[in-house]
Parts: sequence; structure tokens; C-alpha cells
Amino acid sequence: MLTFIIRRLIGAVLTLLVVSMITFGIFYLIPRWAGGSAESLATRYVGRTANPEQVQAAVKALGLDQPIYLQYWNWVKSIFAGADFNTGTSIEHCPAPCLGYSFIGRNPVWPDLLDRLPVTTSLAFGAAIIWLISGVAIGVLSALRRGSFFDRAAMGVALGGVSLPIFWTGIICLVIFSYGLGWTAPGGAYTPIEQNPGLWAYDLILPWITLALLFSAAYARLTRAGMLETMGEDFIRTARAKGLEEHTVVTRHGLRAALTPIVTIFGLDVGLLLGGAILTESTFSLPGLGKYAIDGIVANDMPKVMGVTLLAAFFVVIANLIVDLLYAVIDPRVRLG
Amino acid sequence: MKRRLVVGVAAGVALALGLSACGGGTSSSNNQGGSSGNANAPAFNAAVGKVFNPSDKKGGTMKFAISSDWDSTDPGDTYYGLSWNLVRLYTRALTMFKVVPGTGSQELVGDLAEGLGESSNGGKTWTYKLRQGLKFEDGTPITAKDVEYAVSRSLEKGTLVNGPFYFNDFLDLKGYKGPYSSKGQDNPAIDTPDDHTIVFKLKKAYGSFDYFAMLPSTAPVPQGKDTGVKYKEHPVSSGPYMFQSYSAGKAFTLVRNPNWDQATDPNRKALPDQYDVTIGANADDIDNQLIAGSYQVDLAGTGVQPAALSRVLGDPNLKARADNPGSARLWYTAINPEVAPLNNIECRKAVMFAADKTLYQQAYGGPLAGGEIASNLLPPIIPGHQKLSVYPPGQDNKGDVAAAKDALQKCGQPSGFSTNLSYRAERPKEKATAEALQQSLGRVGIKLTLKAFPTGDYLALYAGKPSYANGNKLGLMVYGWAADWNDGFGFLSQIIDSRTIRASGGNSNLSVHVPEVDKMIDQAVAETDADKRNQQWSAIDKRVMEEAVVLPGVWAKSVTLRGTQATNVFVNEAFGQYDYMAMGLQ
Amino acid sequence: MGGAVVIVLLILMALLAPLIVKWLGYDPNQFHTDKIDPNTQQPTSTFPFGPFDPDHLMGVDAPFGRDIFSRVVYGARISLLIAFLATLLSVIIGATLGVVAGYFGGWVDWVISRGMDLFLAFPLLVFAIALAGVIPDQAFGLSGDALRIVLLIFIIGFFNWGYIARIIRGQALSLREKEFVDASRSLGARGPYILVREMLPNLIAPILIYATLLIPTNILFEAALSFLGVGIRPPTATWGGMLSEAVRYYTLPHFMFWPGMAIFITVLAFNLFGDGLRDALDPKTR
Repeated sequence: MLTFIIRRLIGAVLTLLVVSMITFGIFYLIPRWAGGSAESLATRYVGRTANPEQVQAAVKALGLDQPIYLQYWNWVKSIFAGADFNTGTSIEHCPAPCLGYSFIGRNPVWPDLLDRLPVTTSLAFGAAIIWLISGVAIGVLSALRRGSFFDRAAMGVALGGVSLPIFWTGIICLVIFSYGLGWTAPGGAYTPIEQNPGLWAYDLILPWITLALLFSAAYARLTRAGMLETMGEDFIRTARAKGLEEHTVVTRHGLRAALTPIVTIFGLDVGLLLGGAILTESTFSLPGLGKYAIDGIVANDMPKVMGVTLLAAFFVVIANLIVDLLYAVIDPRVRLG
Repeated sequence: MKRRLVVGVAAGVALALGLSACGGGTSSSNNQGGSSGNANAPAFNAAVGKVFNPSDKKGGTMKFAISSDWDSTDPGDTYYGLSWNLVRLYTRALTMFKVVPGTGSQELVGDLAEGLGESSNGGKTWTYKLRQGLKFEDGTPITAKDVEYAVSRSLEKGTLVNGPFYFNDFLDLKGYKGPYSSKGQDNPAIDTPDDHTIVFKLKKAYGSFDYFAMLPSTAPVPQGKDTGVKYKEHPVSSGPYMFQSYSAGKAFTLVRNPNWDQATDPNRKALPDQYDVTIGANADDIDNQLIAGSYQVDLAGTGVQPAALSRVLGDPNLKARADNPGSARLWYTAINPEVAPLNNIECRKAVMFAADKTLYQQAYGGPLAGGEIASNLLPPIIPGHQKLSVYPPGQDNKGDVAAAKDALQKCGQPSGFSTNLSYRAERPKEKATAEALQQSLGRVGIKLTLKAFPTGDYLALYAGKPSYANGNKLGLMVYGWAADWNDGFGFLSQIIDSRTIRASGGNSNLSVHVPEVDKMIDQAVAETDADKRNQQWSAIDKRVMEEAVVLPGVWAKSVTLRGTQATNVFVNEAFGQYDYMAMGLQ
Repeated sequence: MGGAVVIVLLILMALLAPLIVKWLGYDPNQFHTDKIDPNTQQPTSTFPFGPFDPDHLMGVDAPFGRDIFSRVVYGARISLLIAFLATLLSVIIGATLGVVAGYFGGWVDWVISRGMDLFLAFPLLVFAIALAGVIPDQAFGLSGDALRIVLLIFIIGFFNWGYIARIIRGQALSLREKEFVDASRSLGARGPYILVREMLPNLIAPILIYATLLIPTNILFEAALSFLGVGIRPPTATWGGMLSEAVRYYTLPHFMFWPGMAIFITVLAFNLFGDGLRDALDPKTR
């Protein structure tokens, strides 16, 4: 078991490393593909009067002319040890972990990420709980009452749910429920949970429901399919033959087997969502990681985008890791194979 | 890129009350609109040219909101008109515009200084005397050295990248770069013979230096407390309010500065106890909250969003709370003479003739929310403004197709030509303008390919960088410009003087390089008689128009809402916005 | 099989767009400023929630009054084109890699599976946005809209291969244990031959199913990119782009309703069709 965990951990770290390299590579290349050069990048950082000497000084100070592997190495170093950025007229210290220093905003990226993380986590976990419970419940019920009106109706709605573009649903809900009826908070409202839990929930209820709608529809379909498959298996018949009560058969035997793929996907979905539910945050103007990434892209502020991308990849890898470990706990074949 | 609205003449009500009440003006806070008739009854445009709901009542928390952040709260590092408006709450510059509605706000009065500057040496030396009894928020006295330090640090464009360049360009610096780059050196262009006197020495004479003295860069900064790029988190206050809290990009709060002495400040009433500023709220939400009364002002000052516009105009109660101020801002499209075939003036004329200006106006929001169709550069609010008719787009402003086709013949492109048009991606109005121009110019065969660029880099790397603009054949570039202050120089200098064009990028002058215009500018700068000077600026306007390198679109107006609780609301023409400093609460 | 019907209709609509628009609508980029109130910059008629205008079946947009019906019809072309081709790309890459991984196993499988994990760990949308935002104006001999479409197809198709690959790999894994593959091997058939002649025909079914189910995801992806402003550039009409313009005028419900409805119906149709296919071809979910 221990070797399994260690192997997985090493795999996770390696994945992170490769992801970071590819991310860095792409974001190093993107400005250059867009026609930029070390000089034009530095120009942005030194303001409008820059004469050529100032620009050159900035290029050297920021290390923009170094080969890509050196720049990458510096960046990795700064994650563990922090870094100092010489902007030509002052020295800015970026404490570890330094996921990047935004020269446009003139501040290290990490504190911004930390600041926005609670928003995205609130959004992700809140919606996740809603969709997991509702999706699985509906899926199980549909499977059990297969062919009934409930089943058909639920699956019909679910099909609609997965077909809706979330930015459309989000705006329509905002217009109807927030601006029209005034039942829910308007776009952009967010109160941290420690300030006022009631208000926190009120502000997020519409984004939660909108996001959960999409996922619970998908999970209902998945659960139903999984349950149907499982319930047709031999071991269920055996359990029934043994005389167990139906609901024990369903929950203890059927659900448990059917849920394993659901749990896997759930872990991955939450992991991905933590990386920034970009569309939801844009639609509802929530100041989370996704919106931060968009703002960074729009302003061509690569350190911001890199920071978010890496954090997002980190979450996905961790989620993968947790799910793998859980799988190993549940299913012995996995850790031996 | 820089939205500077430096035009303000502050004073007026505050001044009148201050003078009459002679210190501690506690004329009982009865603000019956008796004398000014129905100054309290809401009506459309009640705050334009007059004060709506005048009051002396102190107290309350003023709630401001804005959807996107501005450059900085550091007075030495900011170039937004709304910031120059707001900054007077927590800083005092040498001079300021009179705090009154209407054209009275074009006049400058002393703020930190007792009065306007004294010029000597043919306009190359300017002396100001500071008032007595001025203190920072921590009680330390404000001296001339603090003003000198503030101006010197604002020269450091490598660190404080946003502010204006006037001091860099005009002071006789002799190589001095600023307190960070030229550490330990003294600024040779500024002298402080005593604690209350400051002397500025210029490279070339400039008759209107008082406008420079109005810039927030002259707001005093104690050297010991200067934290460079971090100063914006808590600028040391010289005004009636000081920072209590600051959360970058999200919010900040101002509370009363106990060391501000009303006796030294005849221009400010300082009515509210506290200001809460929220940044980054959703724009439509701000409008809704403004209508509902939870915010008092949308700091952006550019008017309500399209969604709220029909509501406001359609509901008589809301319309009575709205104003339609104009401002010294022109939305225009630069026609790049370095890109063929626009290097031929006839082809440029074709563009001017063919453009449908009503669509341009529509793109910005129509006659009320967008503005007045512009026939030339200088906006109506600038003294010397005249309505010219150079290459007019037809009687109805919908474009003169015949004249355009004629011009195309003359420049050798009878069936039209193709070129690129650039605009800022995050500005839906510019996108609409781009589409409008594509349609209207398409009528005569001019085919435009639309290219969007990020706003932040628009000037630094794309449209404002000659090598990029010319190399990528950006024939038309959508842009806009607001005056730094309301006179010809304040509006035109940065956008039509070819000597401001830098090869490294960051230019606001996108297409005008006419040596004759440069000469005319120098003449106007040296002219001491105001009327003659205004006429000269109008002549410069005409000359630029004749060169067909600028297609003027709209002189900006906006439909703004007054908050339900706000008193003393009026449009300060210096900024083209409500005067954020003068308002109080009911 | 209502889904199939809708899909066929959609494809027809996209192909015949210019004709349809000529009969029933107007040029998608033409302005109709006479339908706009000059002060509010908003249309005077907002069918279906206001007075019906027989000239404009779906009303006009703000601020220039372009015909929404025509724009929706033309938008279909872009969405379908990009979605189909991107899916094709994903399927080609994904199926190939999946089959190879599943059949050969060993380190080939390990490498490809790690690749899959890697791509699944990327925040795709962020990447796609960043990449789409810097598409140059001219490359590979194309320019303008054509170039953007090609690059979008590439970006969307390239990032989504993992989804198909994972499923096909699973299928391949189980297939290779089957007897007919063994038989082939014992007859001396080599890897590539087995892959193409034995495995592939049996994989057509799942490939088809999951390709059909991938199309709606790609339609949503393209709409999202257009919505965020990095897809096809204006003034070309795209459903996502129309939605992002409509947000500013949210008090005009018709402006938002039609493009969103178009996306919804298209995605729904493909989902229905894909579900139906799966039910027909995959007996286990019966």
C-alpha cells in the first residue's frame, strides 16, 4: 500500500512539473507569437517615456532576454525561495511561494490568488454538494423506477440541463431572479463566509443553482446508467435471493458499486472547477480565480495567467491523487495491479 | 488610453459660504431652496449649470461605486479625470479649479497656495506662496519642500508610470531624473527659499503654468513616508479626509482628517463624515443600486449602461433625477497617412466624406447618452470652439457618397480600397463604431478588416506604436481623448503635436505629423492674450482637419443619475462629471 | 429519433443560409436604424415579447438594428462547421492514440495514458482563451475569418482528444483479449494489420457514439470562446458573440433569447441523437 501511495505521489509531482513546463513554455511563446519581443514586453513595464536605454535596462533586470530554460529555472526557484524583481528604479520582493510577479499590477501574484481562492472554493463546493446529492438521488430514483413517468420526465429535464449553455442560463436567471424579482443577489455580490454566513449563502445561491443545474443533470444521467448496469449484475440477484430487503440491496450493494465511477468523476470535476469556473464567474462577476485569469488574459498580464493555470493544474492533480487513493482503499485490485 | 478630464473650476457655493461665514461657517443648516427657486425639485439636467439641492448639512457616509478600477490613488501616479476629481478629497494641489457649476469652473484659484502663481523671467519662472497653518494627517506641517518632493517623485516614470508628463517636459531639470534615480541630488528646477515659498524654473516659457500647478502631482508628499509603488495604499492626506482602509482593486474608505483646518480651505465644505468607495462592482448592478439609492454616485461619470438607459429615459421620475452633461472629450478615428493608399490626401478625404456620422453617434449611445456629432476636434466646452465644416459628410451627416466617390477617383482608387481598422477589444462602443464604419465606408468600396486589441497595450504596443501600426497597415484607429484641462493646449497638445511621437510606443498622437501645425502650436503656447490664443487654437483645429488625418466622431455627453440622498450636486465642467468633493448627504 | 430530424434540419439551414436569408431575412450585417429609438439606442419592437414585425422574424439587435434571424442562421454555419471539424480532429487523434494504447499496452500505454492525464489536467478554457487571443492575422496562407476558424478548430479539437482516447482505450483493452484477435495473431498478422482490420471495425460503434456526444461539447466550447470575445471576430455573426453583445442590453429579452435558444436546441438535438445511437448500438444500456 505504501509503495502505491509513493508511486502515485511521485507521479503527481512529475505531472505538475510537466504541466508547469508546458504552461510556462506556452505563455513564454504566446507573446512572441503575437509579435512581441523582449523589448516590447519590457516596454509595458517601464511606462510610456521609455527611451531605448531604459527599455534595455528593464529587459536585463527582468531577465526577459534569457533563454527560456533559464527563465523557467528562475521561476521554479522563486516558487520555493521567493525572488526579488528589479524594476529598474526599485526592488520589489516577492516572498515564497512566488508564483509570479505581475508588473502591470505591481504586486506578487500569490496573495491575489489566495484572496480569490475562497470565492472559487465557495462556489465550487457549494454547487458540488447540491449537484452530487440531487444528481445521484434523481439518477437512483430514475433507475429504480425505470420506464415510469418520473424516469422519463427526469431524464428529459436532465437532457435539457446538459444542453444549456451556462452563460445563457446564468444571465437569464440573473435577469429574472435578481434584477426582475429581486429574490437573489445581483451579479458581483460576494461576502466572505466569516463576515456573514447568511449573506454569503444569499449571494451565492443563484450561481450555485445555475452551476449545479448543469452538473446534476449530467450526474443524474450517469448515475442512472450506472445503477441500471449494476442492478442487472448477478451479485444483485444473489443478494435478493438471499432474502435481503430491497432497499438494502439497492443501497448497500447496488449503490456502492455504481457509485465508484461517479466518485471518480466527481473528484475530477471538483478539481477542475477549483481551477476557476471561468464561465460562471464571468457571468456572475464573482471575484474568483476564473475571473482573475480572464482579467489577466485581457490585460496581457502573463504572470497572473500563469499563476492561475498552475494553481488550477495543482488542484486537478491533487484531486486525481485523492480519487486514486480512495479507489485503492475501496478496491484492492487497484493497489496491487 | 489616458482619460484625463482636467477641467475644473471649483468654488462657488463653498467659497461663498466660507467667505460670508468667516471661519467655522455654521450658518444654520437650513437649505431651503428659497433663493434659488426650485433648486430642490428634481428635474432633468437640474445639476447642469446650477447646484441641485444645495445644503450645508454635515454627516453621513457617502457611498461611491465604480465598475472598473482606475490607475492609482497615488496623486503622483494618476491620469484619470475621475481620479483628479476624487483626489481633492484627500490631497490639496497648489491650485484648483473653482468649485462652481457652469463656466465659472474654468477659473483657477489657490488651494495649497494663497493665490495663483507669479511669473517672472518672461514666463520661465513661477513662484507660489503656500498658506499658513497647513498640516498633514499626522499633524506635521506641510512645507514647500513637500511639494517639491511630490513633483520630483512624479518625474519617475519608471516607477510611477501613469501620471502626466508636463513637468518632465517643461521643467529645467538639467538631467535630474527624480529622487529614486538621482538619489541624493537636489532638483535644480525647483527651489524652496523658505518653508512657504516654492519656485519653478522652466526650460521654455509657458504662460498658463497655473494649470500645471493644478495637477495632483503637486499634492505634497512627505519624503520620509514615500513608499514608492506602495504609496497608493495610503497616501498621506493633506485634505479634509484620509484613508482608513484600502483593499487594492476592491474598496477603500476615507474618514475625516482631524488635522485639516477649514480655516485654511475656503474651497471645500467637507460635508460627509465618511466615504465608502466600492471598486469592481458589476456595472448594471451599480445602475440598479443607484436607482434604488444604495449608491450615491457612479464614479466613472460616463453615464448609465444601455440597459438602464431606456428605463431612465422612459420613467419620468427617473428622468427627473438625471443629467446630461457634456465634457471635453472627443471620440474619433485616426486616419493613418503612413499606410497606403491613405498617404494620398484624396483617399483620406474619401474616408471623411463617406463616414456616416449618425451611426458613429449611435455607436456611442445616441444624441443623449453618446453625444453631439463632431464636425471638428475642439469640443464645445473648450473656449475657442467653433463648428467647422471641412469635408462634411453630407447635410444629414449620413455621409456624402458622391463626394467620396469623387475623391476616390482623384486618388486613383475609383472602386475603393482595403485597409485595417483597429479598436480596443474591451470597449463595446468602439466595437460598434468599428462595425458602423465598416458599413458606411463599404458603401463606396472601402473594405475594412476589423482588428481588436487589448486596451492596456493599445497605445504602448499597437496603435500607439508607429512600427506596429504602419507595419500592420492599421489605416484607421478608433480612439478617444479627453482634455487634461479645458483649453486648447490642454486638449490638443498631446494628440496633434508631432514632436510628442515616440518610436518606442505609447503615443496618444496616432496620425498627426504636420510641421505647420507644430509651428502654430508653439505660437499659441507663447501667446499671452487669452482671446488671441483661443483663436489660434481654433485655427490649429481647422488646419488639422484640412489634413484629413482625424475623423471626428462624437463630442461626448452622458446620461448620469443623481443619488437619492445626495445634496449639493452639480456638474463641475472642469471634469464633465459631478463634483465628487462638493456633495453631501441629506 | 427527433434528434436526427433536428440535426438534419440544422445542417440544411446552415448550408442553405444565404438562400434562406434572401427569402426571409436581410443581410446579417445590414443596419436597420429606422427600427431603433434614437435616444435609447434600443429597438422599438421586441418580438416575441413585444409587437410583431413581419419584416424581422426575430426582431433586431441594438444599437444598429441588424436582423437577428439572419444572424442566427448564419451563426449556425460557424458553430456547426467548427464543431464538426474539431470533433473530427479529436476523434482522429483520440481514437488512434486510444487504440494504440489499448492494444499494445506496456510502456506505450503508459506514455499515452500519462499524456491523457496531462491534457485532462490542463484548464482547457484558460489555455484556449489565451491562445485564441493571440491568433495572428495571417498565417499558413490564410487570413481573417478563415484563419480564425481553422485555428479554433485546431485548438478545440486538439485539447479534447483525451475524452475519446480514454474510452477507446478501454474498449481496445477488452477487445484485444477476444478470440478473433488471437486467431488473427496466430495466423501471423502483425500489429498494424490487426489494428486496422480487426479492432477498428469493432470500434466504429463507440467512436461514432462518443463523437456524436462530443459535438455538443464542442459547440458549447466555441460558443463560450465567442462569448468571452476570443472566438470569431465581429461583425461575423456567431451565437456566442451575439449573446455577449446581448448582455449589455439585458432588458431586451429577445436579443438574448434567440441565440441562446439556437445553441440549446442544437446541443439538445445532438445529445438526443447521441443517446439514441448509444441505445441502438450498445445493448448493455438497454
